[in-house]
Amino acid sequence: MADAKKPRAAFAPWDRRELPGSFTVEETAKRVGHYKWVEMRLFEALGGWVPTVPELDVKMRLGTHTYHHAWHADLWNKRLPELREMNPERLTAPANDHIVEFFEAMTEPEAPEQTIEKLVGVYRVLIPAKIAAYTYHLNNTSTITDAPTIRSIKFILHDEYEDWTNGEMLLQSLIETDDEIERAAAQQIRLEKILLKAGGIVGPGSLGGESQASAETVGAPA
Amino acid sequence: MKKHNDVTSLARDSRFERLSLEDQFSDPRNAVMVGRTGGTGMRRRLDPARPGSPDRARSLMHGIFTGEIQALEGAGRTCFDFEVGTGDDEVPFELKLDMARQCWDEARHCEISVKLGEWMGTEIGEFAETTVLFEAACNPDPVLRLTGVNRALEGLAIDVFNTMREFGAETGDPLLHFCEDWMLADEVTHVKMGSDWLRRLTEKDPERRSRALEFQRVVDKLFSGAGFRGEEEDSTIRLARRFRELAGFSTDEIDEISELSRQSRDEARARIAQRALTEAS
Repeated sequence: MADAKKPRAAFAPWDRRELPGSFTVEETAKRVGHYKWVEMRLFEALGGWVPTVPELDVKMRLGTHTYHHAWHADLWNKRLPELREMNPERLTAPANDHIVEFFEAMTEPEAPEQTIEKLVGVYRVLIPAKIAAYTYHLNNTSTITDAPTIRSIKFILHDEYEDWTNGEMLLQSLIETDDEIERAAAQQIRLEKILLKAGGIVGPGSLGGESQASAETVGAPA
Repeated sequence: MKKHNDVTSLARDSRFERLSLEDQFSDPRNAVMVGRTGGTGMRRRLDPARPGSPDRARSLMHGIFTGEIQALEGAGRTCFDFEVGTGDDEVPFELKLDMARQCWDEARHCEISVKLGEWMGTEIGEFAETTVLFEAACNPDPVLRLTGVNRALEGLAIDVFNTMREFGAETGDPLLHFCEDWMLADEVTHVKMGSDWLRRLTEKDPERRSRALEFQRVVDKLFSGAGFRGEEEDSTIRLARRFRELAGFSTDEIDEISELSRQSRDEARARIAQRALTEAS
């Protein structure tokens, strides 16, 4: 039987979590508000497209994914007050005008013949950009102080990877001609250019770099 | 993408045939039913002992399938059509989340219905599709839309799934019984959502609540047509009182639907009798 009085280290030898992280509480709240705005626009768009898509398998898949992104929006909505933002609506905002322009362009295709354009916007441009921004956040935030955000990101990334795979497979099964390859590529290029101007889904600094206000690690011992 | 689409926006592949409710009701083949239904012209309970019941069950399953597609489409549009806010044309954030959840549920119901249809020996497009459900889901007032869809039509789904569940048990089809039981659980949740949001959104607006309930009555009556749904022993679809109570319907409200169904059945009987008289003279 183990000795109940024997002292043990507070952190097990395999637990390598650290205090320092790249984001303050305020920066995290701002970023989370942008995430919520993006997840909302995405689930609304997917839901709105459901009746306009004639392919039955795509229609049902969009219905499932609508809920995934709504659930992500709900996770972020619940996280905001925990980050001292008692009015979550205040921070539920796009990072800049270009990200608004991106969503307008992404949701422009409406006709039943435009399923490829609809799916390209979501599964070849937006979701990869979301995965990048979430992964950057996951890898740079404090693994101890910001554990609740990390937990949410991990759940979200699980959905994102699965949805990305689903969407890409739908696209590959829909694209059958050279013309359709060109349509898909044209839509991707158009949207990538707007997203580049936006700087990513949460604006410049989505993946760190010079635009990240507090590039230095916060909380590192002097 | 523009807000507030109408029924013409529903995209379907080439297997689907659309039929208006008027065309469905005025189908001359309905006259054949008079001979098969003891002269009433009205369909009877799904009875496994009757020779036509497998075909009727397949037809009903196809109707469930197309209804699930439209329920998915309607919930999707409700996510998109309304902004978050407190105005009459806006909705709370949590309502949108509920509708997104309903999208997932309805997508699963589509999947279940396709597989059950195959299991029962039918295929997509074998029967025509009517679009009344989606038409109710186009109402520009979110409260009316939710009341018409989540209380009237999802309420009808409770009755339909319970009937099919019982049919599965009577015919010794455990897969049908199992799947209908799961879908029934989801429908109770959807109706409860509708009941809760109706109460919350019209708490200080009794006039809007009464308009929403009136819209629900219209939809309820439409689907009680010719004794299709009721509490009589031989109604095609039996009113599922216990599950409706779980979903937030009061006894008075269920009594009212039962009465609407009875009226609708009496009106249908009178029409048939009048037609017989006219033809005889």
